Amino acid sequence: MSTSPSRRILVGVGNAGVTVLDLLSVECPGMTGLLAVNNDRDSLNASIVREKIEVPEGDPGEGFRVIDEEFGRTVEGASAVILCGGLGGETGSFLLTALAIRAKSAGLTTMACVGMPFSFEGKHKRDLAERSLEKLQEICDAVLVIGNDQLSGGSPSISAVGEAFVLSDRTLLAALLALTGMLSTSGPVKITRADIHNVLGKPGVLTHFGFGKAEGSNRLHESLERALKSPLLTIPGKGAALKESAIILLLLRGAKDISFAEVQAVVGKIEQIAGDNCQIKVGVHADGPLGSPLELYLLASSGGTIRKPAKPSESNETAETNSSNGAISSNSSISRTGTIGTIGTKLPQSTGGYEKPPEHSEGEKGTGELFPDQTKPASKFGKKAATASKQMQGTLALDTYQRGRFDKSEPTIVEGEDLDVPTFLRKGIKLNTPTRK
Amino acid sequence: MANEQIFVGLEIGTTKISVIVAEARADDQISILGVGETPSRGVRKGEIVDMETVTECVREAILDAEDKTNVEIGNVWVAITGAHLASFNNRGSLALPGERQIETEDLEAVEVNAKEVAIPTPNTFLHTILQAYHVDGNQNVIDPLKSEGALLEADFHIVHGIKTRIHNTLRCIESLKIGIEDVVLSSLASAQVVLSQDQKNYGALMIDIGGGTTDYLVYIDGAIRHSGVLALGGDHITNDISVGLRLPIARAELLKIEEGSASDPAVSQGGIISLKNDPRFLGCDVDRISLETIIHLRVKEIFELIRRDIESSGEGMIDLIRGVMITGGCSKLKGIAQVAEEVFDIPVELTRARNVSGATQIFEDPQYSTAIGLTKYARLVTKNIAPESMIDRLAHGLGNLFKKRSR
Repeated sequence: MSTSPSRRILVGVGNAGVTVLDLLSVECPGMTGLLAVNNDRDSLNASIVREKIEVPEGDPGEGFRVIDEEFGRTVEGASAVILCGGLGGETGSFLLTALAIRAKSAGLTTMACVGMPFSFEGKHKRDLAERSLEKLQEICDAVLVIGNDQLSGGSPSISAVGEAFVLSDRTLLAALLALTGMLSTSGPVKITRADIHNVLGKPGVLTHFGFGKAEGSNRLHESLERALKSPLLTIPGKGAALKESAIILLLLRGAKDISFAEVQAVVGKIEQIAGDNCQIKVGVHADGPLGSPLELYLLASSGGTIRKPAKPSESNETAETNSSNGAISSNSSISRTGTIGTIGTKLPQSTGGYEKPPEHSEGEKGTGELFPDQTKPASKFGKKAATASKQMQGTLALDTYQRGRFDKSEPTIVEGEDLDVPTFLRKGIKLNTPTRK
Repeated sequence: MANEQIFVGLEIGTTKISVIVAEARADDQISILGVGETPSRGVRKGEIVDMETVTECVREAILDAEDKTNVEIGNVWVAITGAHLASFNNRGSLALPGERQIETEDLEAVEVNAKEVAIPTPNTFLHTILQAYHVDGNQNVIDPLKSEGALLEADFHIVHGIKTRIHNTLRCIESLKIGIEDVVLSSLASAQVVLSQDQKNYGALMIDIGGGTTDYLVYIDGAIRHSGVLALGGDHITNDISVGLRLPIARAELLKIEEGSASDPAVSQGGIISLKNDPRFLGCDVDRISLETIIHLRVKEIFELIRRDIESSGEGMIDLIRGVMITGGCSKLKGIAQVAEEVFDIPVELTRARNVSGATQIFEDPQYSTAIGLTKYARLVTKNIAPESMIDRLAHGLGNLFKKRSR
């Protein structure tokens, strides 16, 4: 494997890890730096990942000694190693920690993205997973934890076991994409490793992760709404998890035309929900072809021994604007006043991403208030958002005017849409407003 | 127990609370003696959000029914709805060692087996409805009792919902010192009087569109295959009109009832509807096409959601449905049948309680289908089960919720 200094290597460990890397290769065909490590020959042979290391079957400790050197060579010179896999199994639990120690001792930035077992997989697995997680959190610079049980909390309990694992793999994939995406925000301003370490690097923290993907004219709102609805973003009984978090990492990835206004709108909305004591770190990856969907990732944590966020001095650096292709790769720390740090001169114009609906006045007013004017007193909105999120477990309350009399009732959400909002508004149909006498 | 019995059905709806007092005659005919009714307050989307207010409304409705029928109401059958209710089909199986005769206990055991499914912790079972028995792979045995076999299997349609929300309904009624005979899924109650046995056998979809919820039920080969609740109803149409045309809710409701139509606005007669001034409302001219667009989109969406839900809950199920029956207060909306026909592509009929007698203006109104259905359901259940096992059944169903009171 040839290694360039800025290369990061994604290591899929065990069956779950390899499956996730396969999904990743399908999702992002050009992605390099993938490595599959497993003791299951069939799983490795079936995998489409090019670089593979086969661990001999049997005692995982013995197996690791055999591959130790090969693994060391492969990751040598990498800028970061991200391990990914499921905890709880003998292979995953042991190898993940062993590889993490190996990578860390080679002086590499080491992160892990791991899934905790479903409770139906048994207490033994759960205990093993918890012990391994503890170790991983000690060793790694950052550990992103996906609790499978929390995942199933959002879907019907009678869904097939197979489906539950597919969902878990898909979520691990998204988490991996989020981590790599945040690491690779380039330019003078980015979500730094220190930021990720601040959020995920302390032992015992509870990871909160949400992601959403949407396209079309309302992509921003829809992707944010989906991200906020993620079952991994909520603390049961405590309302929105974001409120508990000191730092929130936000990554937007999508087409070149992600606009300044969109970034500002989404940050404003998250501020409303997260409250006053929270620092938002933004990364934007706007290099996809026009029309590609907008992906939004939220990463935060609570509990553990979180350091107070460092002074946001480094965030005052200016964002870089690549004016030749209209892509922005920017990042900024947002202070509570709601202003985004200085962003370069030539920003691409909003090209329909966050469009105001047709001139129909209700719609206009509605969308306007959805991402309210930043000049309005933040506290009032912060409070309102807080109550709303408590009632609805992190779902985003749509604008009062749109929901009309259903403003205060439990929302009817089917297939991801808030059906209390009139159908014609959601479909963007223009009406003739009545003429007053 | 006498052959003639009085049954009371109570529906706590989003729009109104109705109490139907009916007499079941020896020939199984249900005869309605009267209806008590109050506009509902404190109910949203079929669920109680304000206990005290609802309790007061229920009291008024019960008193109204007692006044009108001269029957003292002691026990009621209660309909329940709400988006928290969910359903699925499951098969229970029981191995009979040494190929012996099937006994009543075996039938109970197979039902228990079918219920051994993980439902979310806050939930409780509401109904376990038998679909069919199979003995040694012999499909659809009508009555397996006393037949010989090695393996007894049974398919059930299981309905469950959030325990605390079901309890809220019960507590509200019990606080009025009224006994509860049983809690019945709204759509199951409506189907008892809206669908004929032929329709159930032939394959039918019943949709009950009310104020706050739309309840639906699929019958195929005489058994329930699917049920669902959408927290969408007439209130949403009214709200859409209010938002879209900038009218107060009350005025929007009136406009929906007087002029509303769900038909495709493409075939609209068009024109202007003139709303007159009244003391609290400044009159205006409303574009008819806009009004019809709002209603059409919403109604069509409701039917499309139901269609998609049925499609995703069982392969090929939608193709076995031969007819759609629409009932509930909102079925009075003009043009609603055509929209359903467009979405489901099978014959659609607007319907109401059938095979009942009594005060005609009551059972001819589709908004009473559920409450009337409750009395019919009550008749069917009590007729087939001896009183003692009825109590057992209740005890099994929802724990010690039901303390039987003297009739």
